[in-house]
Amino acid sequence: MTGKTLVLRALKDLGVRYLFGYTGGAIMPIFDEIERFDDMTFLMARHEQGAAFMAQGLTRGALSTDRPELGVCLSTSGPGAMNLVTGIADAHMDSVAMLAITGQVATGVIATDAFQESDVVGVMMPICKQTYMPLSPEEVESTVHEAFYVAKTGRGGPVLIDIPKDIQNNETPADYEFAAENFTPQLPGFLYSPNPETDAIKRAADLINRSERPLLFCGHGVINANAGALLRKFAEKMNIPIAFTLHGLSALPLDHPLSLGMMGMHGTVESNRAIMEADLLIALGMRFDDRVTGKLNEYAKNADVIHVEIDSSEINKNVATSVAINADVARTLEALLDEPMLTYKPRRRWFSMIEEFRTVMAADLEEEISRGTGSGGKLLMKSIVHQLSELTGGRDLIVPDVGQHQMMAARFYNYQTENSWFASGGAGTMGASLPMAIGVKLARPNERVWSISGDGGFQMNIQELGTVMEYGIDIKILILNNGHLGMVRQWQTFFFDERYAGTPMRSPNFGLIAEAYGITYLKVEKLEDVKPALEAAIAHTGAIVVEFVCEPNEFILPMIPAGGGFNDMITSFSMNSPDTDEADQGGAS
Amino acid sequence: MKRRTLLAFMLDRPGVLNKVSMLIRRKMYNVDTLTVCSSRIKGISRMTITLKEDDPRKVEQVMKQLAKLVEVISVKELDTNNSYWREVAIVKLEIEAARLDEFHHRYNFEVLDKKSEDMHILQVAGATGHIDGFLDEIGRENIIEIARTGVSAMEK
Repeated sequence: MTGKTLVLRALKDLGVRYLFGYTGGAIMPIFDEIERFDDMTFLMARHEQGAAFMAQGLTRGALSTDRPELGVCLSTSGPGAMNLVTGIADAHMDSVAMLAITGQVATGVIATDAFQESDVVGVMMPICKQTYMPLSPEEVESTVHEAFYVAKTGRGGPVLIDIPKDIQNNETPADYEFAAENFTPQLPGFLYSPNPETDAIKRAADLINRSERPLLFCGHGVINANAGALLRKFAEKMNIPIAFTLHGLSALPLDHPLSLGMMGMHGTVESNRAIMEADLLIALGMRFDDRVTGKLNEYAKNADVIHVEIDSSEINKNVATSVAINADVARTLEALLDEPMLTYKPRRRWFSMIEEFRTVMAADLEEEISRGTGSGGKLLMKSIVHQLSELTGGRDLIVPDVGQHQMMAARFYNYQTENSWFASGGAGTMGASLPMAIGVKLARPNERVWSISGDGGFQMNIQELGTVMEYGIDIKILILNNGHLGMVRQWQTFFFDERYAGTPMRSPNFGLIAEAYGITYLKVEKLEDVKPALEAAIAHTGAIVVEFVCEPNEFILPMIPAGGGFNDMITSFSMNSPDTDEADQGGAS
Repeated sequence: MKRRTLLAFMLDRPGVLNKVSMLIRRKMYNVDTLTVCSSRIKGISRMTITLKEDDPRKVEQVMKQLAKLVEVISVKELDTNNSYWREVAIVKLEIEAARLDEFHHRYNFEVLDKKSEDMHILQVAGATGHIDGFLDEIGRENIIEIARTGVSAMEK
């Protein structure tokens, strides 16, 4: 058998149904084989980065279904592989299991600067969980199986296999055998311990019992462990409020009485104030990113920390931990639910504090949402997202891009469906939405998927409208067009004396572009047209692009300036800007 | 800054050294010494890394991130007071034979070659401090060329 056949046989054995990619010289043999495997569907992205995000979308969408699967993308060597880099780095930051298979020049010319040769393994090493280059056809199948195992075991991540062209074409020896069902990877150092230690559970329970103002943190690990229902049960049983990281959103309904919404830089006042006042943080599956903590030495100074995290290198990295639980979130919640020592408390004082925090910005936000337009009569993103939420009952799947509109979508859509929010978080990759939404739709064909982008990010992977067109992907594409890179513009307004360097942008006629791809298009300029347009998008069968003309002077608040502490939280736009130097640490996105 | 010695065992696969050195660079350390050799078990390499860091939490971070590499089997920090640190240096020296004799009883070295009356090639083995002491005493200005292996270490 040839290496190329074995690649596909392994993928088939591993349950792969979709391949996203783009062909080219060094991957041609594998592509030539795809036709022979009719249970796998190939989707041609219009740029390899798009293929990487489609693969991410598939993994992320499918993980809560009864058929979890891994996204796989394929590209040729050199520029093809280099174009995957951003999508792979993004998956690495956001713990998304996926597999990238790249063709490489033949072994005889590797490292001679051959045509379309790049040192793909060298480039990918720091942004992949693992990289492989099989050097014989008989290594191929076990490599693919090991790659899958590594990608999805423990904390998920992207894995790369770079396959030289001659290895794809060469035959294995006649006596080659491989039994997929008997395969176990020989990785003595790759340990995965999902179960929490009993002693740690006891110590955690003791801290929880002693705590007067505890707070649960729901991170991406809750979504990845499908532990939303367990978290809800535990929070209700113990009467503990919950704050969400960006990736923790949608683990349980956002309007649950115990929910404080999103935490961090653009999190709600109630979650961030509660963090300042809490005496115990129970952090589930998260990594205390700088966008969550702000200035570390001012962060949650009064709180003990119970940190439940599958990746031990995240424990004690940014925040010192009182009880470290290096385990799966679901198993830990199960153990905590079984812990007889834990006692319920009414926590009246704690909840009355929280109710006060909830009122800080509530009236302002309500006013903005109901007003719906800015001073120039242009639409407010908050209001559009809010109306979408009302119209869909918060039950649809939301795939935002990166920037201001993303934070609006995080805050003002009322997530009801578990695992219904798919964002580029850690890497903050503009252009992620459109291709990721394609992957999510394939994973969840019976649910409605909304890709929401700004005018900037949409143009970064606009070419994937071609993929939407060709394969008839039924996604609803919203462009919140404020004529600027809104998030950077907000920083410029607050911290750069309103000097708008490099943020205003002219957009093409999106209507003509949609038409060119044969995709229905609507443009909304007036508040009264927002709801009818969204209704039309829902009623329409197939993809539709809806462009909203938005107000550039809308802000996402509150905001904790980068490098600032929670005391620096900006809750209204007219207040004095904090020190620019301090605010400048960390870069905008 | 405190010198730290990390001892790691890992699968002998291509790219592992690359990953380890990349991680240490990313953590913004300059490697003092790094030695790799085969271990007792076939297919498993033994790596000794020394770097400078005062903060024990940062050392723990490096260790955890090293341990996270798929090929890495174990990582630990060696307690300086409770382990042997050894290296070998080959030194080409301009020194008179008579003067060299003065060091014989205090330092453990071997003359590999006598190029001329005042030109010797020596091999010095021992703890890093021992080799440094020898070189200081003999006068570093007399060194023509030096090759050091870097630290190999083992717990007592």
